[in-house]
Amino acid sequence: MKVILHDLDRQYDRMIGSKCDHTLAADGKYAPCQGCFGCWTRHPAQCFMKDKLQQVCRVLGQADELVIVTKNLYGEYSAAVKNVLDRSIGTSTPFSTYRGRLMHHTLRYGTHDLWKVIVYGDITESEKATFRDLAARNAVNDGFTRSEVLFIRELGELEEVL
Amino acid sequence: MKTVLINCSPKKRFCASAYFLSLERLFVGGKKVSEKLRTPADHERILEQLRDAGAVVFCLPLYVDGVPSHVLRFLEKMEVFCLENELHLSVYCIANNGFIEGRQNEPLMRVFEHFCTRAGLSWGGGVGIGGGVMLNVTRIVFAVQIGLLLLNVALSAIQTGSFFPKEAWAGFGENALLLLYFNLGVLFYLAGMGGAIGKRSFFGKKYTRILIPSFFFILFADVFFVIASVLEGGIFRGWLARKEYEEPILSQQETQRTV
Repeated sequence: MKVILHDLDRQYDRMIGSKCDHTLAADGKYAPCQGCFGCWTRHPAQCFMKDKLQQVCRVLGQADELVIVTKNLYGEYSAAVKNVLDRSIGTSTPFSTYRGRLMHHTLRYGTHDLWKVIVYGDITESEKATFRDLAARNAVNDGFTRSEVLFIRELGELEEVL
Repeated sequence: MKTVLINCSPKKRFCASAYFLSLERLFVGGKKVSEKLRTPADHERILEQLRDAGAVVFCLPLYVDGVPSHVLRFLEKMEVFCLENELHLSVYCIANNGFIEGRQNEPLMRVFEHFCTRAGLSWGGGVGIGGGVMLNVTRIVFAVQIGLLLLNVALSAIQTGSFFPKEAWAGFGENALLLLYFNLGVLFYLAGMGGAIGKRSFFGKKYTRILIPSFFFILFADVFFVIASVLEGGIFRGWLARKEYEEPILSQQETQRTV
């Protein structure tokens, strides 16, 4: 399954919807993670906050290919996109293991294929380097075998790279 | 010089960030103001504190290899605020993560560095700490040890009239030294950064961890989550199972906008 997570306006819905099996619109209308670990220890793969991200980890967990379209924010995902990722740690379990020579959590949904990030907006070369490193780490952390980061100047280029 | 110390953990109490910030506070001289950043309602109050500050210390947990979203929202506002008011603070960072390796905080440090560049602020560096949750537990264990010592002293005073039962004091001393050892790396770097904050100088990025072997750390972490999952019931609700999406079925378009 191909999932696209993006922080774009509604005008891109139709185009993005035609490029994937499932769309996650990061519109910021949800609460940030409270760091309670309840999605591991109380209600597995489900957040205690009953908003639209309550079961978002169950969607991301099923993705073979995850494409994230985000505005650059200091070499990080936009706050709205990062909010979705923060609320998705239920894709893993509380048990620990080693991947990529670092400690991580074991995977609830097994391994996936591609973690792809498409970054738009003003960005420096130094921020690009941080984004590449971040995406590579995210891929290992979430059990994706490959990561890719693309930088686009204009959103008009998006359809081509999705 | 005024230093603003911001606890950025979203948790209300017993968070590791509060522990590390309280340690850092010991090593920072001059006027100190402690703040808590949990919701947007905290933004204006903290920004006002920054007007006459010389340095700011962010203490935060690592979320998904980066900065938690509620902190990113604040940084966006702080960038605008600092540029509009021509503030030139020195920014320091204490990041902690639940894994054993402190260097997993590296991307978060770089994000703060980029933030400083865009906001016209001086990046002072930071300390990345591995095993933050377990280090936070050591302070709770220490409090329990003090309680046990007091109990032993009271019992000894009643039974023998002595306030210095040797075995109890020796046991307390041994345990206190062990807990201190676990925290040595953190104390060393936080003390160093405290000195740099006082001079508003560059400290660099330092990484440390709880000083126990990784094998024991993972064992303890797994046992901790087993106990927590038994107590909270998750272990009986398909603890490690692949969970299917169960939201009400919506039209394709609604699903695309709603999820």
